[in-house]
Amino acid sequence: MESRIKKVLASVLELKESQISDDTSPDTVESWDSLKQMALVVALEEEFEIEFDDDQIGDLLNFKLIKTIVKEIVGTN
Amino acid sequence: MRGLKYSELLIKNKELERSVGGPLYTITVLSNITVQPLKDILEYTLRSESINAQVGFGDYDNIVQNSGNFNGSNAVFIFWELSNLVEGLQYKANVMSQESVQELIDEVKSEMDLVYSNLKDFSLVFMNSFSTLPFNYANLKKDTFDSICDVLNEHLSGWHSPGVHIVDQERVLAKVSVEKSIDLRFFYSSKSLYTVDFWKEYSAYVKPLILSAYGKSKKMLVFDCDNTLWKGILGEDGPDNIAMSSEKPQGVPFEEVQSLALALHKKGILLGLCSKNNPEDVEAILDDHGEMVLKKDNFTVRKVNWEDKVVNLESIAEELNIGLDSMVFVDDSDFEVNRIKGGLPDLTVLQVPSKTCAYPKLMREHLGLFFSLSESMEDQQKSKMYSQQRKRTQERKIFASVEEYLQSLEMKMKVFPDCHTLIPRLSQMTLKTNQFNLTTKRYTEPDIKSFIDSSSSLVLCFSLADKFGDTGITGLSIIEITARVAKIDTFLMSCRVIGRNIEYAFFDTIMSLLKKTEVASVQGVYNKTLKNCQVEDFFETLGFSLESSLPSNKTYTIRLKDYRQKNINYIKVEHGK
Repeated sequence: MESRIKKVLASVLELKESQISDDTSPDTVESWDSLKQMALVVALEEEFEIEFDDDQIGDLLNFKLIKTIVKEIVGTN
Repeated sequence: MRGLKYSELLIKNKELERSVGGPLYTITVLSNITVQPLKDILEYTLRSESINAQVGFGDYDNIVQNSGNFNGSNAVFIFWELSNLVEGLQYKANVMSQESVQELIDEVKSEMDLVYSNLKDFSLVFMNSFSTLPFNYANLKKDTFDSICDVLNEHLSGWHSPGVHIVDQERVLAKVSVEKSIDLRFFYSSKSLYTVDFWKEYSAYVKPLILSAYGKSKKMLVFDCDNTLWKGILGEDGPDNIAMSSEKPQGVPFEEVQSLALALHKKGILLGLCSKNNPEDVEAILDDHGEMVLKKDNFTVRKVNWEDKVVNLESIAEELNIGLDSMVFVDDSDFEVNRIKGGLPDLTVLQVPSKTCAYPKLMREHLGLFFSLSESMEDQQKSKMYSQQRKRTQERKIFASVEEYLQSLEMKMKVFPDCHTLIPRLSQMTLKTNQFNLTTKRYTEPDIKSFIDSSSSLVLCFSLADKFGDTGITGLSIIEITARVAKIDTFLMSCRVIGRNIEYAFFDTIMSLLKKTEVASVQGVYNKTLKNCQVEDFFETLGFSLESSLPSNKTYTIRLKDYRQKNINYIKVEHGK
């Protein structure tokens, strides 16, 4: 699951998968703005066939948190 | 594209950005909501058709200002979202006072007028019609929000300039479903109303318009016969048991497809047959079968034989002098479809679905391939002209020398200068002519009008008649004059009139007209494309000298007084109005 999330991040943020670590966030990636955030949400929802609620969208702040939240939703489905 | 994941589409778009070459096709999107996801999706859609598209955005919610001061792109899209005319209009409309509503309507109308006057002469503008569907889909009766929408759409119907196209986004919403088109989370947080699914379908919907402006719409539809024009196999079932109307089971879808083809034909699309059958058997059906919607003379070419279909299709392209990439072929057989897709990758192949009822739907969804931005009188006459062309080709074989043959044609050329009534046809020729085209510049109707209206450019075209008939307007030249230099911006001829030295008679006429002006020298340009190598040395044959040469283009020059007329004596030239 982690590698799938990494792949999505890499495609949306135009990074190499090797550049992605737990800290990867809008603070460390210059191009990661609100539009990229939307694209990330859409791409993750499509990849895992899940839907984030409004609060969860607000918590997708770095790679570590994204992994946690996606695992949480997929786990409960 | 529908099956492609968004993250994969983003990667593929980046790959195509690197690999698709050719001139940049720039698109500017003006909107009052967030529409950024459209960028990658529209670029991907067009780059997949080898158009080097690049999408940029105006300033957020600055439609009026941007319409007045952005630098020209090839096309402009306007997303003027009703619900954001004032923030929350979808709920405020029904509680605002009557006066406030009227005030808002008047304000938006005058903004619309300003935008229209800024953009009406622009080459290609796509304006989405207003819609309440994203919010009002459950309404049983129209409310104020709907009324505002109706009034503004009524006002929009005044946008009738030829470069402007009103896009009915409700068709896209209907196809995708309102539910899958709208993401309210993002609308409330960042005014991004539409989903990736909506943008994908929207891009697919408008694609034919842009392909047409780019000169890539298809010109010919070729059908197989068995289980394609009718249900059943003629050679096995016999003429009485094949079905193509309501009189026999499963015949109706075939009647529908034949009718769709006939409707296209009436708009100027050529039809052909390519079938493995005994020619006599198929001829008999075309001559006698009472239920056939399509008649024998609707088909410009019929290749009914037992040869390889790849060879037949290539031969059709050659005979009619059109590119394989201008053709669409329909067949039911896996074998043939795979053979042709492999052997002729430029040809578009559609396979008849195994569920017959899905066949008309397939054809209807692909009508966009043939979409033409400008339809002109020539289109109705098109197939008659192609038939005349085949007669000319056949008669040619009787004459001993080409010269004798050309003399026998009794050709008369009529040249028209700066003619407004011909604008649709002239634009169409720039979009569709690929072979005898020196610079391959594509112009929409407003572009042609600008050239005609300008005092520093000259638009000349000709029609050609011979003893077989009239070809209609089949040649165009646009000349730009600055100080004492005339530059040939465009010089093209329809493939129907190639091979008769008409280009020389036309060029002689142009040079004679220029001699009456202050012009002292003439410059010509050849832009190399995959399709126009036959005119690579055209200017050399006219006596021009090569000025500069790059792999992709060559420029030539000549002093007007040094030009020697070719004097093609078997073509009579007249001047029309």
